[in-house]
Amino acid sequence: MNLAENQRRDRVIAEDAPAIIEVRDLVTHYGEVKVLDGVSFSVRRGEVFTIIGGSGCGKTTLLKHMCGLLRPSSGSIIFQGRDMAAMDEEELAGMQRQIGIAFQSSGLFNSMTVGDNVAMPLREYGNVDPRLIEPIARLKLSLVGLAHAYHYMPSDLSGGMKKRAGLARAIATDPELVYFDEPSAGLDPIMAAGLDNLVLKLNRLLGTTFVIVTHELDSIRLIADRILMLDRGRVIFLGTVEEAERCSVDRVRQFFERRPDEYIEQRAAE
Amino acid sequence: MSARHILQAGNTLDQEGGRSLHDAFSALHLKRGDEVFIDLAAAETMDSLGGAWLSRIVQEAARRHASVAFGNAQSQVAEFLEVISPALRAAPEKPRTEPGLLESIGDATIRFISESREFLNLCVDALYWTVIAPFEGRGFRFNEFLDEVYEMGVRAVRIVCLMNFLVGLIIAMLSAKQVESFGLQIYVANLIMIAFARELAAVMTAVVVSARTGAAIAAEIATMEVQEEIDALRGMGINTAQYLVAPKLLGLVVALPCLTVLGMVFGVLGGALWGIVVLGFRPSIWYQQTLGAADMNDIIQGMLKSFFFAIAIALIGCHNGFRVTGGSRGVGRMTTRAVVMDVFSLVLIDMVFATFFYYIFKQGVPGQP
Repeated sequence: MNLAENQRRDRVIAEDAPAIIEVRDLVTHYGEVKVLDGVSFSVRRGEVFTIIGGSGCGKTTLLKHMCGLLRPSSGSIIFQGRDMAAMDEEELAGMQRQIGIAFQSSGLFNSMTVGDNVAMPLREYGNVDPRLIEPIARLKLSLVGLAHAYHYMPSDLSGGMKKRAGLARAIATDPELVYFDEPSAGLDPIMAAGLDNLVLKLNRLLGTTFVIVTHELDSIRLIADRILMLDRGRVIFLGTVEEAERCSVDRVRQFFERRPDEYIEQRAAE
Repeated sequence: MSARHILQAGNTLDQEGGRSLHDAFSALHLKRGDEVFIDLAAAETMDSLGGAWLSRIVQEAARRHASVAFGNAQSQVAEFLEVISPALRAAPEKPRTEPGLLESIGDATIRFISESREFLNLCVDALYWTVIAPFEGRGFRFNEFLDEVYEMGVRAVRIVCLMNFLVGLIIAMLSAKQVESFGLQIYVANLIMIAFARELAAVMTAVVVSARTGAAIAAEIATMEVQEEIDALRGMGINTAQYLVAPKLLGLVVALPCLTVLGMVFGVLGGALWGIVVLGFRPSIWYQQTLGAADMNDIIQGMLKSFFFAIAIALIGCHNGFRVTGGSRGVGRMTTRAVVMDVFSLVLIDMVFATFFYYIFKQGVPGQP
């Protein structure tokens, strides 16, 4: 814990650091329901950016827009100076190759070994010396502490190992930007803390920018440079952990103080 | 005598820096037991491609029976090396995947015995929950049974009718040509009737149903197993044979004989189409000839087969579904296996019946009871 805290303090992302991805006035609907309503923010290069909020507030939907899996009703998503929302499929695929995604349920291919899963994007993209593909896969698995699992099948792995293998695949091509959906959901605290340290380690060693969707408070306090909080599809807070802890917005306080919904009703009555 | 070779890394250990280090390594004349020392004193930064080249050098050195050591790494490079150290050890041999002959035979025997035991257990369970338990008041999911009859039976009517109709047409076409020179074309009506009553309707319908329903049963149960739904059922204290197998088994036992009757009718109609339209027989003559060709025994023989086919298809589908391992790939594998086993078992059951009727009832030759 102390080690991780020290790591946080000696690295501050400057406020004027360039944005790696920028979301502007994003609006999206599922049928009649407005899921995201005018969401705007930018993620700075090299930071660990967390998206938080209660269940069903639009976190995962936002993440899916940010990697082009969903198209918004309106608004834009600027990545490397270009709007992902306005691209055709081919251009979008090119952009998506520069973003690593670690899915909530890992998304590993069951038919391949763990090593082949990690090597798969390297083989498919074809822009790496073929002699390096296996060493890179081994190296990425080492980074996530799974060097021994190279020949395992995904079905042989535990939940935490699957998540780490999914992360190894997400960073296989050294993307500058990595999305991580619910890293610690369903994991024991030791495994969850291990994943937090892993994110910090990769962020520091490879300079990877992380956008992490989570609702684990401990994890947020440990790893987040900045927090974006969504509530019913709107941004209700954007700032550092310290600012969030001091924030006077009811929903934000409720989240950080882990209070049930009655708290809001009570405050409203007061 | 083993030698020590020293390589100097450049100031950045990236794609290019790593490659030049690898080139220098490849140029070394290594002997068994040599050591390569890579001096990283000059390296200020490294990335994962540089790390991958180092890993490659270690693996190649291991193949040439030499060892590699790194030293004098500074700050970021030292930290990076520490983190990726597992990748910088010689990779263990890939686990042996090809077992020996005896091992394979032993494995196959053990697998066969354990699978047979599982299948037998399933049969007993299914029999109990389908036939005995409902009469003991232990419950039967009647609504699910109706759903299954609709899904497996009613929704398969069109394809079963069409298939049998076309097969009837084809058989009539082929056999009429063979008997043309003897002037015995009217007996094509007999052939079609006997063939469909005893054999073809039951087999063709069962093949369609095993491809359609057998595969669906296996895929459904396998997916449930993979997604832990089966565990959820067992965890709730619900018997999977009662909940899943019994409605499917009884559903198919009802649906398949009904489909077989339809198959008989449409097969005979297919033959009649050829007889009347192409061979030019009057409908009444063809009709009389068809009716006189087979009796109730022949039809019962076909129905009896379809009853056993239904049991085989349902149980094989369920059995393979429960045996799934390994996620989506496993689901595909088990579905394929279920269909292959279905079709094979159909032929096996058919052969048993043919032998049985031939020796017991002397019904091998049509028209000579």
